[in-house]
Amino acid sequence: MSPKAKVEIAREHLAKAQEELNGDLRDAVQWIFASLEAAIDALAAEERIPIDQQHWKRTDAAKELHEKGILPSDLSTLHRELNFLRKAIFYDGEELEEDGFSVEDAVAEVEAVVEIASERAS
Amino acid sequence: MSTLVEPWCQPAPTRSGLTELHPPGSELWESRLSLDRKRAVENQTASLLEITSAVEARSHELRAAALVLTGSTARNRRTQISDLDYHVIGGRPDTEGLSSEIDLYSDEPDAFLAKLFKGDDFAHWTLRYGCILFDTGVLRQAAAAAIEHDLWPDPERKLRQARRSVEFAQKLATTGDYGAVLEFSRGALSLTARWWLISHDVFPLARDELAEQLVETGQPGLAKSLEGTIHRRPAAAEISSWLSGAWELIQA
Repeated sequence: MSPKAKVEIAREHLAKAQEELNGDLRDAVQWIFASLEAAIDALAAEERIPIDQQHWKRTDAAKELHEKGILPSDLSTLHRELNFLRKAIFYDGEELEEDGFSVEDAVAEVEAVVEIASERAS
Repeated sequence: MSTLVEPWCQPAPTRSGLTELHPPGSELWESRLSLDRKRAVENQTASLLEITSAVEARSHELRAAALVLTGSTARNRRTQISDLDYHVIGGRPDTEGLSSEIDLYSDEPDAFLAKLFKGDDFAHWTLRYGCILFDTGVLRQAAAAAIEHDLWPDPERKLRQARRSVEFAQKLATTGDYGAVLEFSRGALSLTARWWLISHDVFPLARDELAEQLVETGQPGLAKSLEGTIHRRPAAAEISSWLSGAWELIQA
């Protein structure tokens, strides 16, 4: 899949996450995680950073993309937190325990990444 | 005169698997710790052992009560998509600077025990099949409680998780994001498999062992689906049909 197509998918996932901010926050977490992964995939593909469909390689890629100056901040922590949170929603319990984590802030951060990926792909 | 103690053996993956074992006295538990450490070494490559050693040192620094290597590594069933899973009982150590493939869960001792009583299958998994790297006594007590009270994972809890997960995977399947669909579907089918097995008094092992367990409990269709998402790159339409099958099973 081309970086451009991946960006489009990231956008669609982001829109669904934004919708769910007023609906089910648990679904918002799933969508925003999927959006961030797609955006990282798009940027990593351009930089020839291997992902191999592994979450942890995307975590590393997020850091590398920041070190290369492509992303203004290191989103590896956000990626790790979202991965942990989305699993916790499925595996740990029925309620979203945010523990100081703001889904709204996460959506805003991912939106910025999707914008960057979009500009670079166009 | 000393009494001969049968060494610890891993419980059978059945409802009675744990209760068939003796409540662990200190000697029996020592034999488990020894066996588990041996398994942990055998199941890891040199690079994984290095990571584990660092996690263990950091857990000790935090005075954690126990550290357990869990998941596919503990079962020696790692696949290309496996993480390196740990369960810490006590404070959560910092994993900064360590490999990102680490997946580390932590529970305070009281919370861990509460999870066992609540029927959390992940906590039960840690206790039954995890490789315990160290234990100050909290896991031995937990094992004794699990045996004494015949604790078993709650199938209803797993069913709720499976339902939610399949539902989301189905939504995702409409987006065309193949990689995410495959990954989320694998998770959803794993949860469905775990629910099915728990509700049939079979304890689910590592993900790559579930298919065999499903076949043994009369669920070859789900077994084939799950295996397909682990070892193949099936067509999107095929994944969608598997999710529909899982949904029907859950609803039934």
